[in-house]
Amino acid sequence: MAEGVGEPGSSMHGVTGREPTLAFETSPSVPTDATVKFALPVDSEHKAKAFKLFSFANPHMRTFHLSWISFFTCFVSTFAAAPLVPIIRDNLNLTKGDIGNAGVASVSGAIFSRLMMGAVCDLLGPRYGCAFLIMLSAPTVFCMSLVSSAGGYIAMRFLIGFSLATFVSCQYWMSTMFNSQIIGLANGTAAGWGNMGGGATQLIMPLVYDVIRKAGATPFMAWRIAFFIPGLMHIIMGILVLVLGQDLPDGNLGALQKKGDVAKDKFSKVLWYAVTNYRTWIFVLLYGYSMGVELSTDNVIAEYFYDRFDLNLRTAGIIAACFGMANLVARPFGGFASDFGARRYGMRARLWNLWILQTLGGAFCLWLGRANSLPVSIFAMVCFSICAQAACGATFGIIPFISRRSLGIISGMTGAGGNFGSGLTQLLFFTSTKYSTATGLSLMGVMIMACTLPVAFVHFPQWGSMFLPPSSDAEKSTEEHYYVSEWSKAEREKGMHQPSLKFAENSRSERGKRYVESAPAPPDTSPSNV
Amino acid sequence: MATAPLLRLVLVVSCIGSSMAVLFSSLPNTLTVTASPAAGQVLHAGVDQIKVSWKLNQSTPASADSGYKKVKVLLCYAPVSQADRGWRKTDDHLKKDKTCQFKVTTQPYSSGGGSFVYTVERSVPTGTYFVRAYALDSSDTEVAYGQTTNAAKTANLFDVVGITGRHASLDVAAGCFSAFSILALVFFFVVEKRKAKK
Repeated sequence: MAEGVGEPGSSMHGVTGREPTLAFETSPSVPTDATVKFALPVDSEHKAKAFKLFSFANPHMRTFHLSWISFFTCFVSTFAAAPLVPIIRDNLNLTKGDIGNAGVASVSGAIFSRLMMGAVCDLLGPRYGCAFLIMLSAPTVFCMSLVSSAGGYIAMRFLIGFSLATFVSCQYWMSTMFNSQIIGLANGTAAGWGNMGGGATQLIMPLVYDVIRKAGATPFMAWRIAFFIPGLMHIIMGILVLVLGQDLPDGNLGALQKKGDVAKDKFSKVLWYAVTNYRTWIFVLLYGYSMGVELSTDNVIAEYFYDRFDLNLRTAGIIAACFGMANLVARPFGGFASDFGARRYGMRARLWNLWILQTLGGAFCLWLGRANSLPVSIFAMVCFSICAQAACGATFGIIPFISRRSLGIISGMTGAGGNFGSGLTQLLFFTSTKYSTATGLSLMGVMIMACTLPVAFVHFPQWGSMFLPPSSDAEKSTEEHYYVSEWSKAEREKGMHQPSLKFAENSRSERGKRYVESAPAPPDTSPSNV
Repeated sequence: MATAPLLRLVLVVSCIGSSMAVLFSSLPNTLTVTASPAAGQVLHAGVDQIKVSWKLNQSTPASADSGYKKVKVLLCYAPVSQADRGWRKTDDHLKKDKTCQFKVTTQPYSSGGGSFVYTVERSVPTGTYFVRAYALDSSDTEVAYGQTTNAAKTANLFDVVGITGRHASLDVAAGCFSAFSILALVFFFVVEKRKAKK
């Protein structure tokens, strides 16, 4: 795959690749550049070819840790209010509507900031993109301590939510540091561990609150002081990113902007091919009901356990944390299951895998709302979290195949769809007093199952869909036809479609075991599959 | 992990609960409770005081209170403070009832009645309230009640203004840290741009 950094649509490239999720090293076909001395083996662009999780070596693994921890910090501050809502709602005299609106606000800001962040990273580089966002959102976290009305609370949660765009800078930064064959694992791990912040905050904030209370503060002051912790985390991570980070393996930002060897694509064309592909919209909807419901649940679950089962703040927080912390393994597992099924049955397995995981998630969410006893409720919640987060991983196992030309924009739109779905479910089910939170959870479960059905309509002429086999038309059933059709005749004459041709050839394994038995590969290709 | 002791706790609590499921509607209103705030008066949390007194109703036969061992006095939300707030909902099952969330006092019962001066705690939020007293028997189960308002909870309610929780030191600290964050960012940016130019 082309390594263009900075061309429109590639800002998100490598969000997760079709590359095997658990590949810790590239295949031997990627030549190592032996002239430079880095802690990890690097390719010709000095991107790392191996992924060593517990190393902090400059620059590759250090980048990994800086970027996932920054993203984690932003998740902590965006959802920091959620476990403290039982205290905040009394201090600010909030109604259920206010709490629900604040939850919607907390995820809505990111819809816009994520779409803009790609451009910011193109302009300033991922290091400054990350640092700017995290340090400019630190004041919003501190100002949370000063709110005294429902309006102020909603406004602050909206502003803090903008910081979730660090997802984009995180993925972009990783794509400058890791070879495309392992970018899938690197990005998937960083995304999953960052998302864990939504769970960690449910542990951290009640703990900090308790410590401050024990030190003598009243409840209504203690929660305000507690917000200084995420605020300080923002400042510390911002400074670490600025001091320890670098944009490129070789450290030069200027070189990033001089990279002209990749023909720049036209943004309007890339957008057009993203928007006119019906599969994009199905996945925008679907991600709203895997990632979206995960965000919604992060916002409501601690308060739900506190009220329904009369637990104290700490216990409710610990249970709620289990939901978000499952991201540690659940999201990578979803990607792994997708790759595992694809080895034998190709793309059809990936689609079935996604449908099964996401629908099961909806069923467990329904059960969670109906459960009347604490142990059953916790069990249902854990199952729900694993399935929903695995579905997120499985979604990004398919997205790289929807389009080669517009991968970046489609990934960005899908991410925004996740936040939109979160805002929508919170607005529908957790803001009105018509439903109790328990009923809201059950209804959300039903909506998840209903909104996952459209995955049956995702059809690839070359690979089929859940219920239909691949097209029998000899021309339409090739990967080349599908990916090259995104380029006009004029563009093809200029040779702009070459990367898509290469990708088409690499993607032939999505036919499943059939591929191994079917036509031999054309003679002039080099083995590039792992 | 934490589910095993939690499971045991839930079983124990549900056993106790099911054998003592007291319904509010089953309790006789035998206590007359009066509180010092006038209807509509505004009290400030942490500062103002409420004097609560209770005694057996004139109309109740004197022997009715033979089972009363203790009196538990609570500060309760009026319906206007419960609207759109499911976590303050009134439920007939006393174990599930969330109307009265603040304990004023628990005292031994004496047939001549009693009184207590309560300083409104700083954890009491802004809202409209009334005072209710439960008579408890020797096993701490509610057997009778009395309240300062009528059955519909519309009369004789008073307001409490809670503390804001804000403090000048917090405002200053928040301002300082925010300014530091922005200035640090600008500083790094400018210094690096200058270095790049050289």
